[in-house]
Amino acid sequence: MNKLLVSDIINLKDGIYNLCSKDGNLEIIIKGNVTIYLYDEEINNISLKLEEESNLFVYDYRCNCHDCHVTIEQSHNSKVHYNCSLQNYGNSNYRIDNNITGDNNESYLSIRNISHKDSSKITINVKIDEKTKNNIALEDLKGIFDGGSVMIEPNIIALSNEVVANHLTTIGGVDKTNLYYLMSKGIKEIDAKKILLKGFIYSNMDELIKNMGGDKNA
Amino acid sequence: MLEMTNVNLFINEKKLLENINLKINEGEIHVLMGKNGVGKSSIASSIMGNPNYKVEGSIKYNGQEITNLNIYERAKLGIYLLNQTPMQIEGVTNAEMLRIALSEKTGEAINILKFNKELENICTSLELDKSFIHREINVGASGGERKKVELLHMWMLKPTFIILDEIDSGLDVDALKIVANSLKEYHEKYHPAILIITHSDTLINTFDDYFVHVLNEHKIVRNGSKELAKEVLTKGFKTASDTFVISEN
Repeated sequence: MNKLLVSDIINLKDGIYNLCSKDGNLEIIIKGNVTIYLYDEEINNISLKLEEESNLFVYDYRCNCHDCHVTIEQSHNSKVHYNCSLQNYGNSNYRIDNNITGDNNESYLSIRNISHKDSSKITINVKIDEKTKNNIALEDLKGIFDGGSVMIEPNIIALSNEVVANHLTTIGGVDKTNLYYLMSKGIKEIDAKKILLKGFIYSNMDELIKNMGGDKNA
Repeated sequence: MLEMTNVNLFINEKKLLENINLKINEGEIHVLMGKNGVGKSSIASSIMGNPNYKVEGSIKYNGQEITNLNIYERAKLGIYLLNQTPMQIEGVTNAEMLRIALSEKTGEAINILKFNKELENICTSLELDKSFIHREINVGASGGERKKVELLHMWMLKPTFIILDEIDSGLDVDALKIVANSLKEYHEKYHPAILIITHSDTLINTFDDYFVHVLNEHKIVRNGSKELAKEVLTKGFKTASDTFVISEN
């Protein structure tokens, strides 16, 4: 995997990248099949432009996010899977703007957020331009409050009729049924809760970032 | 082993069960039958300690009063509930959960090699793909696979009192045979007490002998041997209930 310290606009082509930023900004042009791992809380402005026929996976794992803005631009025949897991111990604001301007694109945005303290706000905007065709946009957004509060704003603005657009949003506490299930296996309540919170965050990540995340879990 | 004495069970002030008396000794198999909604699963929940239920009366396990113990404390004593619809938990693997549960149970660090080997052997005997060991608990698993995963947990945790709440529902004939054989093998090896809640005789026929209790209108209205199960399954609950006589076990 390539570990890159980014300080300017970069082009990423076919590969897996672990990105760090010098000034908190990332501006990336995606070509081919690219996977990006982010676990740097200091990156707060991310711009991703997908070229035609490109396929992007992003795993963004943050233990604290004060204010982060992600922009994703898709033109034609591209696919993006953006998976972000956040744990907040203070006020936070995470926003994604995904603009689809052409045909045959797919966008899958999946966010998991645990708010341990203060308030956490997630805003997801997907905009599909008029006269575009065969686009898919799915938002899967889940929040758990564990001492703090969570607000999720899911927006899909579809200006074209030829689009499949859907969003799933849930906010709640730790699932009591799951908690009792783990306790019924002989696990203490406090440990069962930790396992569930960790599982919630990790369910959105892949094996690699789980290892990179190390002890940053719940 | 387990003794329920004059147990009344409530949920949101609504009485679900009335004056339940049940005694199950070590190694015994007891079958609970009854129409849908009479409270069979509520008995299972009350034994396991589901906090959504309010219990009056006494539930003892190996002589110890457990009525006020929570689910974890009861599980630690060896009580295990195998549900008809096992939970799915995203992001938590079977191996991870079992490792934590076993460490908690034994108070010792787990020998990973031995642990993995044991898991693999159980998967083989259950005809369950070994990939389930490191898969998230019941996520994406079929109904049959979920029941097998629960049996995998049971074999690893080695409970002494097992409640099987309609685990035969939704299983195809092959899966049911594997599940039944696995339970029989576990019973022969570890001699746990088992409480089976079921609507059919497929699972209970695996065992040579058992006690039967019939629930009707929130009470145990009849106790008997395996012949009673045959009677209920032949006549049906409605017809059989006309002849029900309350008797002592």
